[in-house]
Amino acid sequence: MPLSRLKNRMLARIFTLFPFLAVRWGRKLAPHPGEVPWVEPRTPLREAVLALVTTGGVHLRSQPPFDMSDPRGDPSFREFPAGTPRELLTITHDYYDHREAERDLNLVLPVERVRELVAAGALGALHPLAYALMGHIEPPHLETLQERTAPEIARRLAAAQVDYALLIPA
Amino acid sequence: MALSIVREITEKTPPPRALYLRFPFGHALGEPGNRNQQLAVLLLAFRLLFEADRPGTIRDGRLRWRRENYSPPDWEAFRRLGPGL
Repeated sequence: MPLSRLKNRMLARIFTLFPFLAVRWGRKLAPHPGEVPWVEPRTPLREAVLALVTTGGVHLRSQPPFDMSDPRGDPSFREFPAGTPRELLTITHDYYDHREAERDLNLVLPVERVRELVAAGALGALHPLAYALMGHIEPPHLETLQERTAPEIARRLAAAQVDYALLIPA
Repeated sequence: MALSIVREITEKTPPPRALYLRFPFGHALGEPGNRNQQLAVLLLAFRLLFEADRPGTIRDGRLRWRRENYSPPDWEAFRRLGPGL
């Protein structure tokens, strides 16, 4: 593994151990200038279709991994069946410590918990497709994320008549 | 509906609704294997989905990371969630 990737993984562990570093970093970020979107919820949870969207870098082992060679991140997304057996999924993301998420993928993609909700009659259904991004994206890829990737995921969810999406950060 | 683990970042890029959790990176749902904690996070998230009344709402989930015994899920509390709460 290249030295730069090892360095990023080390930094990820430091940020996990010392969360105030992320807080300081967040305070320095410029506010997003756009309007915050808003749609009123119309469907009771017990009848709703829920989609899961994670920024945890999850993908099928057979899909191309997120690009870790670009220090500005990878603004692409991966779409895969939410019911994929665990052994066919992996995480490619050097910017958070995902050793525990590897042990329990529900920490970043709570498919098992959502299935329990469906079985208990608390949620209508889990959307059969899950979406994943990697949550470390800097300019100029930020623009791609905002103007192409995120709208494309939203279009697909709307076309599939998904009621709600839960976005899980990493 | 979004989960948040660094409030200061979420405030800068506000989603319509976010549930803030004082959990470490990579642990938005809590500890590995802690089913009841993970379902507690989901209940709070879905409650916020129907209770938030303005764009950019960030609510502190006030869940503790460790040293907390989480009760088994209250399915009826989930089933009651919907518009017009």
